[in-house]
Amino acid sequence: MLKKIECFLQPSKLDEIKDELVKMGVEGMSVSEVKGFGTQRGYLEEEKINKKVKFLPKAKVEIVVDEEIVEEVIGAIRKLCAAETIGAGKIFVIPVEDAVRIRTAEVGKSAIY
Amino acid sequence: MRGEFNPWQMTLSQLDEVAKEINLDESIHQILRHPKRCLTVSIPIQMDNGKIKVFTGFRVQHNVTRGPAKGGIRYHPSVTLDETKALAMLMTWKCAVVKIPYGGAKGGIICDPRKLSLKEVERLTRRYISEIISFIGPEKDIPAPDVNTNPQVMAWIMDTYSMDVGYSVPGVVTGKPISIGGSLGRNAATARGVMFSLMNAAKKLKFDLFEKTIAIQGYGNVGGNLAHLLSHEGYKIIAISDVEGGIYNPKGLDPRKVSLALKGSGSVVGFKDADKITNQELLAVDCDVLIPAALENQISQDNADKIRAGFIVEAANGPTTPQADKILEGKGVFVIPDILANAGGVTVSYFEWVQGLQAYFWTEREVNLKLRDIMQKAFDKVYRISEERKITMRKAAYILAVERVAEATRVRGLYP
Repeated sequence: MLKKIECFLQPSKLDEIKDELVKMGVEGMSVSEVKGFGTQRGYLEEEKINKKVKFLPKAKVEIVVDEEIVEEVIGAIRKLCAAETIGAGKIFVIPVEDAVRIRTAEVGKSAIY
Repeated sequence: MRGEFNPWQMTLSQLDEVAKEINLDESIHQILRHPKRCLTVSIPIQMDNGKIKVFTGFRVQHNVTRGPAKGGIRYHPSVTLDETKALAMLMTWKCAVVKIPYGGAKGGIICDPRKLSLKEVERLTRRYISEIISFIGPEKDIPAPDVNTNPQVMAWIMDTYSMDVGYSVPGVVTGKPISIGGSLGRNAATARGVMFSLMNAAKKLKFDLFEKTIAIQGYGNVGGNLAHLLSHEGYKIIAISDVEGGIYNPKGLDPRKVSLALKGSGSVVGFKDADKITNQELLAVDCDVLIPAALENQISQDNADKIRAGFIVEAANGPTTPQADKILEGKGVFVIPDILANAGGVTVSYFEWVQGLQAYFWTEREVNLKLRDIMQKAFDKVYRISEERKITMRKAAYILAVERVAEATRVRGLYP
């Protein structure tokens, strides 16, 4: 079965993550520039948090992988992104019912590898 | 399994070969060489003319180490105990290849159903089931359709068993009609599994299926459904056959039109827009993919060297004799073996049993996606073994299956 890994990360980590995941056999990735906030409510650690929530620039990374490598992918992203400060990001794992490669009509796992 | 050789001896020698290849523990090898239980039963029934006739039936449970026994029941004049034993062992391997929690079984009655009325078939079925009733059940042994048995026969089996225990037990048999707990997608499951196997091969061997031509021998439940599924995907079928003979058109055949012709004339040969060929000619037709979906022993040492296809997908059980297999291997033909290619049927039977036990039924889409996932995993595993050991897909499938059953036997240990 396929899983989508959707994560919200610090944009500065993107290149390293891309290289590491490609090494693992991940064959596709989409990245978007987004704005958001999490537990940090949009404040950097050194800032004083007040009531007003702010947005910070984040990178949203979406990849679809076979469930067998989900743990490995999460491990790699965490290893590269783990910071002692707040605001390192979040990883979501979402079940994917099916996938279709438009050109060849291949489906399921064959559509993504 | 007609022909001069004994199907049981043939199946045993296949096991012996694999045992040697993987250095199988000798004790486990001995256990696997013997079916757990062989029942021979006499089945007296009243014929429509009032006379009593006694038939002979079998039920063989080869192995139940990984779960309850599972296997079809066939009605055919050529049924023998040895054939039933062989097919029961093949079911053990088939269930293990796709990793569903069943052991192998098979059953049969020596009879010619064409010479029996519907009522006689019903009485035969009910009496046969009552003779083996203490050995079957959802946790023990779950029959299914095979040659000349269909959802109606399964309904009679379910009813006979349920009447005996006093409540409805849908899980005692699979391949039932939908109205009494059959699974959506069961009817075309074997064909769908065959198609997934072919697609998985195309992916691994990096060829474009849309550019390949396909010939299918057999137009029954498997061959017929398969032709429609493949054509729906946009693949090109150039030859089709049934018992009466075959049709060939290099420009492609439309199964919907072939089925219409079949309805009118009783055979695919009734289809006008194609050349007539024999079943033997179909096997030797100039195509890329050959799918035997009819009887056993169709590809033998007499015709194996004439085969022009580069890929064979065994939708039927045992369509290739061991001698033919050697010839095909020498020619470099890629064969997806029966215990992998046609395991979609038993896989959706397993889904039907699971749904019956839960009394909660899935959509057809759910069934098909779960089937695809299981077929893909099994194919990948078998392919990896064949690459690592540089052996055929058949040998690789047997190795995977025997290793799984052997491991289960080892951890369970010997009782008492």
